[in-house]
Amino acid sequence: MHDWQELVRRQLDGLALEPHERADVIEELAAHLDELYEDLRNQGLTEEDAERRALSEVTNWPAFRRRIQMARRKENRMTNRVTQLWLPCLLTFALTMAILALIQVVGPAPRIFMVRGRPNMVPTGTIYIPWLLSLPLVGAIGAFLSHRAGGTRLAIFFSTVFPVVPYLIFFGVAGPLVLIFADHDGRNFVLALLAEGLIPWVVLPGSALLAGGLTVHFFSKGGRVIAAL
Amino acid sequence: MIGTGIKRGTAELAVLSVLGDGPLHGYEMARRIEQQTRGALRFTLASLYPLLYRMEKRGCVRGAWETSSAGRRRRCYRITPQGKKELSPIRKEWADLFRALQLLAEAPHA
Repeated sequence: MHDWQELVRRQLDGLALEPHERADVIEELAAHLDELYEDLRNQGLTEEDAERRALSEVTNWPAFRRRIQMARRKENRMTNRVTQLWLPCLLTFALTMAILALIQVVGPAPRIFMVRGRPNMVPTGTIYIPWLLSLPLVGAIGAFLSHRAGGTRLAIFFSTVFPVVPYLIFFGVAGPLVLIFADHDGRNFVLALLAEGLIPWVVLPGSALLAGGLTVHFFSKGGRVIAAL
Repeated sequence: MIGTGIKRGTAELAVLSVLGDGPLHGYEMARRIEQQTRGALRFTLASLYPLLYRMEKRGCVRGAWETSSAGRRRRCYRITPQGKKELSPIRKEWADLFRALQLLAEAPHA
């Protein structure tokens, strides 16, 4: 006896519908597979062959899940691209900036300390590190929202790391411009600054955001994403 | 190659046509369409249900759970007045298209 309901439930994990509606869809699809399987068995197919044929009805479960989700959703004023990509992107970007501003306003005052005999004004310990530590949560929120809206892996990825994209574009545009227009000394100076900025403003925050996004991805596989957040 | 718009139109026509004969559940609907078109149109689980849900949202069909005499719960679909209203122009459109294609096929080639 095949537990088609369990199979469909597992394959449609993450189907973002109301619980009763989700249960209806799972029951209906499972009933279809069950009848197909029985028909195939009655036609003389072995259990394995009948099961294989029944399962071949869906070749791409994630795409099927997205199509069902789009079809069942109540009329939405926003397009899928907005809910799956732009909204999570905008939210993660706004959260990232808001947290940074909040830490600057209410966090401990930055100290001026000496590095190699020079006063260093960068408030690394008091602003940057707390901000960096908050980013996995922001990345997780972006990934969760995109995932819940039925976003593709690419949409989830961009929703997660979007806050560093403007910095990446800035460094990507500023770098070549400096190489073209600056003189030798200016070029070396600005390039060194750009290289220094790339790690703290793109690589590290991007990794922190991605860590949060990957956590959601991991939890969503087990159907525990809503419980985790 | 048949375009997406035409394919979608064909699928909706097929669903509305078989539902015109009476309410059916998804599996029976797929079987009926396959039999009536002699295998030319075949719906899989992946192609049928998103279409049915879309049509239900548009108000062309209505699904409701029913329990068979064997105690099996199935979601049966019925064509709605809105669906019936949509069916006749779609039928006419397809009949016109096939007539036009037939004329094209029968035309003497240079």
